[in-house]
Amino acid sequence: MLPPGSGTGQFSQFSKKAIRFVRKGCTNRPFFHIVVAEQRKEQFMPVIEQVGSYDPIPNEYNEKLVSLNFERIRHWIGNGASISQPVQELLGLSGFLPIHPRSYMTAWRNRRAEKLNDSVETKEKAENVDSQTSK
Amino acid sequence: MNVITNSSKSVITTAIHIPFPQTFQSVRWARKPRWLGTAKSKLFRIPPRPVIPKEEELELRRLNNNYRTQMKSIRNYLTERYHVKYLPSSNVEQIREDFEKDFAQCNEINTKWNEEIKVLREQRIAEEINKNIEEAKKQLNEQIMLDKKNLEKAEEEVRLEKEAAKAFITPDTLEAAIEYAVNNPVDYNYAIDMEGNKIIGKDLNSSKL
Repeated sequence: MLPPGSGTGQFSQFSKKAIRFVRKGCTNRPFFHIVVAEQRKEQFMPVIEQVGSYDPIPNEYNEKLVSLNFERIRHWIGNGASISQPVQELLGLSGFLPIHPRSYMTAWRNRRAEKLNDSVETKEKAENVDSQTSK
Repeated sequence: MNVITNSSKSVITTAIHIPFPQTFQSVRWARKPRWLGTAKSKLFRIPPRPVIPKEEELELRRLNNNYRTQMKSIRNYLTERYHVKYLPSSNVEQIREDFEKDFAQCNEINTKWNEEIKVLREQRIAEEINKNIEEAKKQLNEQIMLDKKNLEKAEEEVRLEKEAAKAFITPDTLEAAIEYAVNNPVDYNYAIDMEGNKIIGKDLNSSKL
């Protein structure tokens, strides 16, 4: 029988635990379970416990859905589980932890790219207008 | 570089022995195997290093330092709060006392409920018994009526049979019956039309009908 995706609840006492993603989608359709697993175990091996899920593809209302079991996450962090960076970012955005520096970085880079794009577009427009008037 | 490629070639010859290469041709593979080495065209390519402005680097460093400090304090707090080690130690006497107290309270409520329910239950059972008795009486009456009816039916059947039995051929009346049959032969070899009239053919001995 396959182990349940919600976790087997079995772990060794002194092994290092991690809160991280397990990819559960299929080709071209990512979907993640947020799980507590032993750090040395591979991604698709049986996990200790599922503590949430994350759907990175926006739905019809342009929302990326995340579910988190804060009670269990608190318990596991309290018992020394490390958190992977993507999960840290999600927890930061959900207000459970401070915002991750990478979230700030992505934001300012996106803003900068947008600004650059806008300026290029306006420049092109201006050039187009100039060329039309000169003709 | 040459040295590396040579060594990787030697790895191929020594480590992987394929008896029938055609049987090992994969239909689809995720990535090129490690032992095929770097492509010739990419051998001396140096990927450009990411350039992070000084300002941004400092800002990131500041943010990361803050984040780590905050995480440390959160982690310490959660450890103090939730770690198995720091869970309140179990006092057996206290636990038993608490349990007994809780049990007594629950038991009291339960007894109260049981008494309330008991009244309702007895009432319900009495009603049910009355209902059952009435139902049984009704069924008994129905059964008696049915038996009576059946008896009448049977009597009627017997009477009819007795009447019919008068026409039966017994050993005593056998001779007479045979004689009657011989004297009165019956021939049904005729046709009938739509109105039911007999149409007697030429061949039939009509005198015998």
